Amino acid sequence: MSAMSTSRPMKWLLAVWIGTVLVFLYLPMAAIALASFSRQRYFRFPIPRFDTRWYEDAFTSLSVRDLLWTSLTVAAIVTVISVVLAFLGALAFARYDWKGRSVYQKLLLLPIFFPQAVLGLALLLWYSALGIPTSWMTAVFAHLVWILPIATLVISIQVYGFNPAWEEAARDLGASRWQVFREVTLPILWPGIFSGALFSFLLSWGNFPLSLFTTGADSTIPEWLYSKMVSGYTPLVPTLGTLTVVGAALLLLGAYTVIMLVRRSRQARATAEG
Amino acid sequence: MDMAAPRETQSESPILRLQSVDKLFGDFVAVERVDLDIREGEFFTIVGPSGSGKTTLIRMLVGMDKPSGGDILLRGRRINDVPANKRPTCMVFQSLALFPHKSVGQNIEFPLKIRGVPPAERRERAEQLLRQLHLPLDYHRKPVGQCSGGEQQRVALARALAFDPEILFFDEPLSAIDYRLRKALEKELKDIHRETGKTFVYITHSLEEAMVMSDRIAIMRGGRIVQVGTPDEIYNRPRNRFVSEFMGEVNVIEVERAGERLRDTATGTELVGPHLPEGFRHGFLVVRPETFRFLDGAGGAATPNRLEGTLYNEYSLGSRLQYQVRVGASVFLVEKLREQRYLGQLDDRVTIGWDPAEAMLFEE
Repeated sequence: MSAMSTSRPMKWLLAVWIGTVLVFLYLPMAAIALASFSRQRYFRFPIPRFDTRWYEDAFTSLSVRDLLWTSLTVAAIVTVISVVLAFLGALAFARYDWKGRSVYQKLLLLPIFFPQAVLGLALLLWYSALGIPTSWMTAVFAHLVWILPIATLVISIQVYGFNPAWEEAARDLGASRWQVFREVTLPILWPGIFSGALFSFLLSWGNFPLSLFTTGADSTIPEWLYSKMVSGYTPLVPTLGTLTVVGAALLLLGAYTVIMLVRRSRQARATAEG
Repeated sequence: MDMAAPRETQSESPILRLQSVDKLFGDFVAVERVDLDIREGEFFTIVGPSGSGKTTLIRMLVGMDKPSGGDILLRGRRINDVPANKRPTCMVFQSLALFPHKSVGQNIEFPLKIRGVPPAERRERAEQLLRQLHLPLDYHRKPVGQCSGGEQQRVALARALAFDPEILFFDEPLSAIDYRLRKALEKELKDIHRETGKTFVYITHSLEEAMVMSDRIAIMRGGRIVQVGTPDEIYNRPRNRFVSEFMGEVNVIEVERAGERLRDTATGTELVGPHLPEGFRHGFLVVRPETFRFLDGAGGAATPNRLEGTLYNEYSLGSRLQYQVRVGASVFLVEKLREQRYLGQLDDRVTIGWDPAEAMLFEE
């Protein structure tokens, strides 16, 4: 009873609070989106006239295409390498009991505790000490140093829920190691691997500090946004900023669709064959 | 009524033979010099408390671990180094290990799919098994996670039967099931054993469970086999105190030799035991609760073993009643059928006694 009487004003307060937080969090992003549609050359608010010319510019500009291509290549390669290594790493992290496991678990997490700028600088020093010229390829490595541990953790969460008896049972029922992997291990761990991949891609796609130190003459979108903000603002900044956010959102949406489709096809298969 | 003996299962050579099988983990000896013969078609149960090495043993029999020493022979062929997926045997796991991402039907069909059996044939076999295990046919597409505990047991058994193993192993699959369902599934399992005629090797920590189902039982302790026999043999002629205590609640009296008789070391009372082994000095007299009688007046005068004490408590076990009788510092359990219940009250002075031939004497 008393909970009922206190809950009404509390509910209002909560609603107002959540509303405020949402507005403060998302309004700046909306402002950027609005700015990208502005006709003006300079970032001014409120926007006097709307236009889509900056989007036309962005899609036709060769340098933007280069930026997108670099960011995409780095993120894609990071995702592929990180998923493969993080999957194996997660098995070592959470599945198998071995002698150096607890040391490994701690060492693995170490890079996350470094501020990324420090990590980037350290890597840059290493590259120059070893005589490796910096480019988007060295950035791939830098991203991996930071992203791989996170992807490993994400996949480990799934691995912790894995019952080793599933693999043993499959083997006992006649499956070869490869069949066990394909029929049991992979499909059960698949959601974890998938979210590990998603994390890897998005973290690389939006990474600024590591890229700043390690891409050399190449440039990713976040780097370009920063440099244009510092010197020589163009309306392409909010345009490209909006495009990266939309790109990330589309990726998430696509991922969600894939998950739903896989789930549905599994159910369909279950109904049809087994 | 000994139904185990006349089965057609007593063939000459065993389907599975263990010769001096050892398993060591570092310095720890988990299984030590185990010799066993398991006959074709029998329901053989290995019973032992946790840590007795029974799970380690079954893992070697299934092929998930390799023995450190000794030989495992399947129909005379040494299979020590044959991996689990190459053995014509399979196991129902303690956790059941049903594949959570597959439906009931996909689980059952798994071993057939691995073998490359065409889908139509797989489906037919799965439906046959669903029927045999009293599961509705539309469970074929049901996710295993939505099945009840008892249904999951049946699915796991169906999956193992789909494999069509020469020996079917069970690693305590019923241990997590509540009492009533467990009792029902025990009997069902024994029925399935009759229907299929396959060799079943079952592991449990419950001798009671083993008694219900098994043709023969092996008792394990500390990595060794203590006794092998039919349920009757194990019940009537336990080899030592451990086996007799494992059976259930028993009264243990520490005794020493006093001439041709025995003396209770706690109270000094003189007792008559069964016949004394050669050189017996010290040991334990084990008396089952149901062999105790309440002695009242003239009727009990002829009983040589008598203990006088206080009736402390009464427990109802359904068809039977159990009494706690305190004799000095010792506590004894007496069990009676309900119609033979003791008619007095708590705190009565009572005399309990037993026939010397019905007690068991062990040196260890």
